[in-house]
Parts: sequence; structure tokens; C-alpha cells
Amino acid sequence: MANTVEGYLADLRAALSGADPALIQDAVYDAEEYLRTAIAESGPDAGPDAVTAAIDAYGTPEEIAVAYRDAELTVAAALRKPQVKVTQAAWGVSPLARFFGIIMDPSAWGALFYMLLALATGILYFTLVVTGLSLTFGLAILIIGIPFALLFLGMIRAISLAEGRMVEGLLGERMPRRPRIVAAEGNLWQRIKSWLGDYRTWTTMLYMVLQLPLGIIYFTTVVTALSVSAAVFALPIVQTIWGQPVIRSLEYGYLIEPWAMPLVMAVGVLGFFATLWLAKGVGKVHGMWAKTMLVGRFESGAGTEHAPAPAPYVGGAL
Amino acid sequence: MDTADDAMLRKFQKELNAGTVSLVLLAILERSAEPLYGYQIAKSIEGAWGEGVPVKQGTLYPVLRSMEEHGLLSSRVEPSVSGPPRKYYSITDRGRAVLGDWKGAWARTRGFVDATLEGNGG
Repeated sequence: MANTVEGYLADLRAALSGADPALIQDAVYDAEEYLRTAIAESGPDAGPDAVTAAIDAYGTPEEIAVAYRDAELTVAAALRKPQVKVTQAAWGVSPLARFFGIIMDPSAWGALFYMLLALATGILYFTLVVTGLSLTFGLAILIIGIPFALLFLGMIRAISLAEGRMVEGLLGERMPRRPRIVAAEGNLWQRIKSWLGDYRTWTTMLYMVLQLPLGIIYFTTVVTALSVSAAVFALPIVQTIWGQPVIRSLEYGYLIEPWAMPLVMAVGVLGFFATLWLAKGVGKVHGMWAKTMLVGRFESGAGTEHAPAPAPYVGGAL
Repeated sequence: MDTADDAMLRKFQKELNAGTVSLVLLAILERSAEPLYGYQIAKSIEGAWGEGVPVKQGTLYPVLRSMEEHGLLSSRVEPSVSGPPRKYYSITDRGRAVLGDWKGAWARTRGFVDATLEGNGG
């Protein structure tokens, strides 16, 4: 059995191996909070006995791992209920109803909203990282460099958590509910060094920088797809009201025949539903991408592609 | 066959805890005037019981987390000198309402189990 906090946390990670990386991060956070507080409470000259006693009271890594897995199952079941119901209802009926059922799927709407929001967050993240990095390196030779680097790294960690909450809320990918701990002890200098040595700090920055091009792609795709769908849907209506051809090329105008009007409008509606499916697919891929970059190790090869393929996941997307 | 009996006892205790720990945690947070963090809650349970608490303190944390997900508790994070930032939990209005229901369920269960064990019917 481990007789240091670090050893215990390593054992706990091992006991939870295979679980969701976000869950592991939360569990390790809780254990570290408890053990460090317990050891601090037992006095400054507490020896290894205090560590062993704290670990003994907290529970073996195996016990704790089981407790977290159980709690996660309960919470997941409680939180996912409405989503499961929608899927089951959709599976029971024809593929056509399943295709149009996307309009009842909160994850598609969440992903659509996330894609629109990604432009704003992308600009913010990109500016922060570029400004922060340049100022940190620029100020590194001055005394103000150290507090500035600390502030910048702290901000990166806070944003990593916040972006994770957003990804979980809108895209449904389980993300950490606690910040990532990297060697929370030692003096200021050691802390900065441990943060710089943590590869997760760098992948987070990379994620934040790439959020700008991704955000531009997402935003443009959604806005284009929605406006094209709306325009196609409106074509016959505008033509009827206006009495003139709407589709024009130089001096030639093209009138939609009355019999084709419902078809054109139907294509517009189809385009709207296809956009929702596209958003759902992109949301799914972006969730995996965010998890790969912001949490845990590079375990799942699923999210390693930089630009999520904007192909609609028609079928089996849940 | 002591070890097998011990294992049965541990299993039984674990199953008992599965329900009662949530009730106890909720009651502690309701009685507390201020928000508490995990370690304080664990200590107050240990203080009330004395040695040999039948609950491992680490198993309290996932329960707290799960009750927060369900909206029974709310939390805020504050920095600490001794380690990572602490998460302070307090009970929500929904938590108080749920605790009221749970107290009733507990009283009924306890009455029923006691009556059965004493052989006065069930």
C-alpha cells in the first residue's frame, strides 16, 4: 500500500484505469483535497504515520474506484433519461421519422448553438493565447515576468475547465468538473515549472489556438446552411408575392412552375433537417476532440483529427 | 470460515451504506450554518461516531458529487493553503425538500426493521 500522497494518487489512477478520463481527474482531485487537508491538520511535524492514517481513513484505491464508478452510473442514468427516451422512440419508427425526429433531439440543437458560439470563443481563446504567450516571453527577462506567467497559466487552466463545462453542456461529452491538479505543492517557481512541464498545458493552448479556424468553419457552415435552406424554402413564396422570377442570371429569369413549388419548399425543409444532423455529427466529433486535447492521455484515437469531418452522421450518431 | 463471514458482513454494510450515507450527508449539511468542504464533513461524521466508522471517508466524495448533479447540493470552490482548492457544499431548497421525504422513509424503514427483528410482526 502507498505511503505517500503521490503514490496513493497513482494507485487510484491505476485502479480507475479504463474509466472516463474526466472521472479520473475528478476522483484524483477529491482524494488530493482530503489527504492534503488531513495531513495539514495533523500538524507541521507529522511524520509518515499521519499520511498512512489519512490514507487508511480515506479508503483503499480499489474501494474508492468502485464508489466513483457506481456514482457515475447513477448520475449518468439520471441525467441521460430524456435523451434515451427520444432515441428509443425514434428507433421504433421508420427511418424517415427518425430523420425528422432530429428536431426533438436536444443534442443537435446544443451542437448547433455551440457551432455558432465557437466563432466568439475562438476569437477570445486565440487572442488570449497569442497575447499571453508573446507577453510572457517578452516579459520573461523582467521581474514582472514570473507573476505574469503565473497569471497566464492560471487563466489557461480556468478556461480549460470552463470550455469543458460548455462542451459537456452543449455537446454531451463527459468533461471534468474539477480543475486538473499538477503538483500543487512546492514554491512558486516549482509550480510554474511543473505547469510548463505538463503537456496538457500545451495541448490546451493548441486547442485554444485551433478554436479560431474551427470556429470560423463552424460558424460559416451553420450560417450558410441555414440561410440557403431558408432561401430555398422562401423562393416560391417570394415569387408568388412579387410576381417576378427570383432566380436570375443576367437578363434571363427563371420562373418556378406552380407544380414545382411544393417540391422546392420541401428541399428547403430537408436542408434545414440536414443541417441539424450535420450539427449533431460535428458536435460529436468536436466533443471527442475537446476531450483528447483538454483531458487525460491520448488514449482514444477517435478524436485525433484536427479538422472534424463535416459529414452528417445520419444514423448511429448517439 | 471467518473470512467468508467477514466478506458477507462487509457486503451487507456496503449495501446499507448505499442509502444511508446520502441521508446522513444531507442531514449534516442541513444542520450546518455554513458551507462545508469534504474533509470537514468526513470529520464531523467521524466525530459523531467515534472510532470505527463503518464508512470509508473517500466514498463520501462521489456521493456528494452525485447529489450536486441532482441539484440537492450547490458548491463553490475556494483556494486553500494546504493543498488544492476546496469545494464547499451547501444544501439547496430542493435538497431540504428531499431530505424531508427521506426522513419519513427512514423512519418507516427503521420502524419496520426494528419491529421485525423484535418479532412483533412486520
